[in-house]
Amino acid sequence: MGSGITRTSASFASFVFSLRRDRARVLLFVAGVLFAHSAFAVTPLAADGVKALVAAPAKGERVIALWSLDCAYCEENLTALAKLQREHRDIDLVIVATDSIEQHEAIDARLKQAGLADVPSRAYADATPDRLNYLIDPAWGGETPRTLVIRADGTRQGYSGALDAKRLAKIAL
Amino acid sequence: MWRRLLLLCLVPFAVAAQAHEGMAMDHAAMGGHTSTLGFGAALEPGGRLWVVDAAGQHIRVRHSDDMGRTLSDPVIVNPTPEPIYAEGENRPKIVLGPKGEIYVSWSQPRAKPYTGFVRFSRSLDGGAHFDAPVTVHTDRAEITHRFDSIAVDGKGRVVVAWIDKRDLEAATASNKPYLGAATYYTWSDDRGATFHPEKKITDQSCECCRIALAATPDGNIAAFFRAIYGDNIRDHAYALLQTDSPPVKAQRATFTQWHIEGCPHHGPSLAIAHDGTRHAVWFSAADGKATIWYGQLVPGKAPVHTLEVAGAGAAHADLAVAGTHVWIVYHQQTAEGLSLMLRESTDGGAHFTEAREIARTAGSAGWPQLLLRDGRAFVAWNTTDGFRLVLTELL
Repeated sequence: MGSGITRTSASFASFVFSLRRDRARVLLFVAGVLFAHSAFAVTPLAADGVKALVAAPAKGERVIALWSLDCAYCEENLTALAKLQREHRDIDLVIVATDSIEQHEAIDARLKQAGLADVPSRAYADATPDRLNYLIDPAWGGETPRTLVIRADGTRQGYSGALDAKRLAKIAL
Repeated sequence: MWRRLLLLCLVPFAVAAQAHEGMAMDHAAMGGHTSTLGFGAALEPGGRLWVVDAAGQHIRVRHSDDMGRTLSDPVIVNPTPEPIYAEGENRPKIVLGPKGEIYVSWSQPRAKPYTGFVRFSRSLDGGAHFDAPVTVHTDRAEITHRFDSIAVDGKGRVVVAWIDKRDLEAATASNKPYLGAATYYTWSDDRGATFHPEKKITDQSCECCRIALAATPDGNIAAFFRAIYGDNIRDHAYALLQTDSPPVKAQRATFTQWHIEGCPHHGPSLAIAHDGTRHAVWFSAADGKATIWYGQLVPGKAPVHTLEVAGAGAAHADLAVAGTHVWIVYHQQTAEGLSLMLRESTDGGAHFTEAREIARTAGSAGWPQLLLRDGRAFVAWNTTDGFRLVLTELL
């Protein structure tokens, strides 16, 4: 691991040296880094944070997209929901990994790879993950992907499995 | 000023480089889940209890001569550390042979997501030490071979079954549709010294649910596992795992019609009575209603004597049978904590008692496992408070 970082740092050092002679390129570089930092990093979700997570939004609807690193169906579901959210700005999308926050590096990397780094993202930070499942959605057995839709009027609807076009259209209503 | 700005910009890159390299390691070590409460247990007829679980990258075996009150020092199965899946549905297992053999299996995550090898080790000296672990399948592609299950048949043969994605990979490579993964098995007729080349149980089964194995009255091993029917209807199949006359014929055995293009992480359980009655429990959330079902399997047809054992918040049921006595245990989650629940029948599954809480924890627990001894049932349960053997009888 250490040698990898050294190599990376060394290559960037030479990159930086060449940049010093070109201020315009430096500005672009800085802008790129700042832009990258506008992306969300996964934040912890514990039992005491569930109430706020599942509270009815002031308007539109909140869509909680539950997934895990070991779920081969989850990325396509997250991508479909992110697309839906971009088309319907009254959707407040939150991605929640049922994996431990200790795996934040893997979670962030996977979401970034799927083009989802601009969506707020949480991961379980609780000694009782099954209880967290229950607190988020008592009707949910822990299967993934799970999509929980909470509307401004307080009504809820849960969907298990990757969402097809019909179900996505239902969520967008 | 420019130099300072550039140095500030470099920091996140150095962190990112570290994060990237750490990622593969974390995944391999944890297999997507951090829980280490997953365990397997077995009871000797004489009363010695055996428990296997993972401690970091080591499989450890402990025993108890006082029904779980105290556990021995661990014996390490794999002196060379390796990544181990140790979460609920994908946990280390232990079974006992007829001549005092102790057999252990587990799934080892590989570097890529969703991959694994099925590993096996044995002790022929009463658990004093274990042979070097072996991989039981001949296919060594870096794909899914995991969610292992292990059983010993009436002739002492060791049967191992697992979920395997080689057929999915082949279908994908030739642009053919394929749902889920295949289920494979192998067996050893020399006390685990060698294993036969693996055989397929069925194509297009579920990727993430444990496989239940149980002995039939004539000493064969039967498998009961989540399979896929039509467009992601995830019900269950039943198959006898022939060791003399393959191929295996898997027949649909549940008809809940649960449609889910996803990972249920809810495997079934099976126990076969001496009269051949196939008692089973399984999970379904058809129509959005999470339910643990009990039924008696009639492979190829709908099960009989079905019963809704439990609903929302209930999961991970196990089942055991001795004569006409049937025990079902499961987890019941509430906002307050996790309860271990029991329902039992003394008339061969025609009627069951109401659910009764037999233990609880404010923490988490590995999936409960029923163990039988002299017609009595005990529940092995590993919670954040520690391992214990829970009585099913009212005191």
